Amino acid sequence: MPDNVGVMDRFVDRLPETAFFKFVAARILVPFWAWWTPVKPLPGGPHPSFQHGDNVQCMMNLIMPLKDKSPVGRAHAAMAIAQHKDAIFAGLNNVGTVHFARFVIVGDNICMFSVYDGDFTNYIRDFIATIGEVFDAVVGLVEGGEEITPCEKNVEAFIQWVHEHDLYQVPDTPTDFLRDQERLNGDKAVAPVNDDLTLLPRKMVLQLRANANVSLGSGYRAYPGYSVAQVRKQLGLGW
Amino acid sequence: MVDLSDLQGNVLRGYKDRPYVRYLILEVADRNAARRWLAAAISGRDQEVPQITSGDWGKAKPQTCFNIGLTYEGLRALGTPDSSLGMFPNEFIEGMTARAVKLGDVGASAPETWPAPFNEPDRIHLIATIYAEKIEQLDQVQQHALDRNALTLLGTREGYNFNGDFVHFGYRDNIMQPRFEGIHDPERHADGQPLAPLGTVLLGHKTNLEGLFWRVPQPEVLGHNGTFNAFRVLKQDVAGFENYLDQAATDLLAHPKVDEVLPPGTETDICQALPVESPSRHAALREIVAANLCGRWRDGTPLALSADVPDRNVDRAKFDYDENSRCPYGAHIRRCNPRGGQIVQRVANNSRRLIRRGVPYGPAYERDKAGDAGKAEPERGLLGNFIGASLGAQFEAMSCDWLNLGLQDPRITGSNDPITGTNDPDTSWFDLPLKSGGTIRLRGLPEFVNTRGGAYTFLPSLPAIRYLGSLTT
Repeated sequence: MPDNVGVMDRFVDRLPETAFFKFVAARILVPFWAWWTPVKPLPGGPHPSFQHGDNVQCMMNLIMPLKDKSPVGRAHAAMAIAQHKDAIFAGLNNVGTVHFARFVIVGDNICMFSVYDGDFTNYIRDFIATIGEVFDAVVGLVEGGEEITPCEKNVEAFIQWVHEHDLYQVPDTPTDFLRDQERLNGDKAVAPVNDDLTLLPRKMVLQLRANANVSLGSGYRAYPGYSVAQVRKQLGLGW
Repeated sequence: MVDLSDLQGNVLRGYKDRPYVRYLILEVADRNAARRWLAAAISGRDQEVPQITSGDWGKAKPQTCFNIGLTYEGLRALGTPDSSLGMFPNEFIEGMTARAVKLGDVGASAPETWPAPFNEPDRIHLIATIYAEKIEQLDQVQQHALDRNALTLLGTREGYNFNGDFVHFGYRDNIMQPRFEGIHDPERHADGQPLAPLGTVLLGHKTNLEGLFWRVPQPEVLGHNGTFNAFRVLKQDVAGFENYLDQAATDLLAHPKVDEVLPPGTETDICQALPVESPSRHAALREIVAANLCGRWRDGTPLALSADVPDRNVDRAKFDYDENSRCPYGAHIRRCNPRGGQIVQRVANNSRRLIRRGVPYGPAYERDKAGDAGKAEPERGLLGNFIGASLGAQFEAMSCDWLNLGLQDPRITGSNDPITGTNDPDTSWFDLPLKSGGTIRLRGLPEFVNTRGGAYTFLPSLPAIRYLGSLTT
């Protein structure tokens, strides 16, 4: 920035913080952009990587809207998990690649968050083979679930459905985000004006409009990645 | 019971008596002509178009064999209805190049580096394979296949089976294939493992994951009894492999525990058994390293059965991995197929098996003639087919989690397959087990194998080919 910033420059810099501008951006500008330059929702799950450390302790973040959006519907979801607790533990033991799995109800959504090793499709497929009935019980309560259950007979569709519900993991840097967007669109170059990284990139705004629930980053670890079996072996727990 | 005459012959047969193999990489030039070509290829009457070889030969052995695989783009080019196309699995729809990271096709193996015709994957519609006893038959069949201007030839790849079933790295191959429940095995393959459910290889049948069924693209005639193939052009750096064995043997000779790896005097037994020219402790250690990297001595003897010296009297197909097995956890054959051994993903034992059909390409490596100053080694490698009913659950699952991550065993997690893995000499490692229970860690493994092309194809049944040939819209 030059030192001799003029009155007009200061006025323009402050514009985005004004109530008027925020109103115009939310009600007019962003919907117009979304219509003018539509973006596709970016796919969920971890970014493809060939580094070993990136392929252990991966994050899955599923947010699944319940069919019954009432306290009764939420109670059904809570009961479905509680009734299958033993099967869930058995599944974790037999699949062997899951560190943690959590079920959470947020509003009218049942969420499943897990940390797993290796390829996502293998993880889900092995779980279907081990405790498919639990998936059926949970997904049966969720919008669109009837089309992919029983999961044992709809393996490919079920895995794809889970992948589509897995949250997009927004990279930590805007450049990596723009790379994802370009890759999805097959673009070769970044448009210089709209993608100025000193501003809020238009594509990020539009992506978050198309994809309201996202994961910020791919999860942060306090130590390098290890597999479940490496941890269990090191702790003498058997694997 | 499956009627073998409904299946393409290469699914269950290795065509061992036909050592010359040529792959025709083809594009549909004219949709209607291509449909007529398919219909003619299974008519049994039209001698102007090569007839697709089925699994049932009856009394007359075919002189040459001919089989086809279709890519997703190929099915589209033939006018397969969208409702059917959408039922194929994602990995097949996306194609091999889109799955590069999963398969370890990065760096020098990345699809962006593949030569023609694999640099234009969308144009690859059909891969036809000719198997012949005599090399001149390859040209004749190719000419017939291209006569009707239905298909445009984008390129070819050609291989030849070496005598004795050896492959470029010097190992004996073609030792075993899976056998399937309810199927007569026309070639009586050796396989010491449990019979595989038919759904391991054919769509529409029980799979090896209990209770799971793969989606069969509809109409039923299109998908039923079809299967998928990962066709791979795998360049092999044989000189680099032999140099690595030299270096590793030299390092081991200087290692304080070398006598545990090779007790004094046993070098003669190893060198005689293989046999190795110019026997020495160094030569025997080279073979020990080669055997450990693969899990088999180069004559095919599994380390699981005979770890001290190659033994031609053992059943090379029938063995398993128990806790006392002396086959390294990270050895190539154990990574690809851990059999009944302990693995992390307990439900996956025996679930990722594949039919493997490979043929070497390029001239055999002659170690004593190699290294002429300034003379580059010719390209050589393997034209590989990895066949299974689910590319995702079998070929890709094996490639990403087992070959290139080592997820199946915490003792190898974070390492790649020592022979086929995408290794970087700065970080690669392999643990050579010692009888005492310890290991010697070998480092500096480079990439011995690079992918130079490939495609996912659907191997339709003969009724499916008839159906595709009859499409009119």
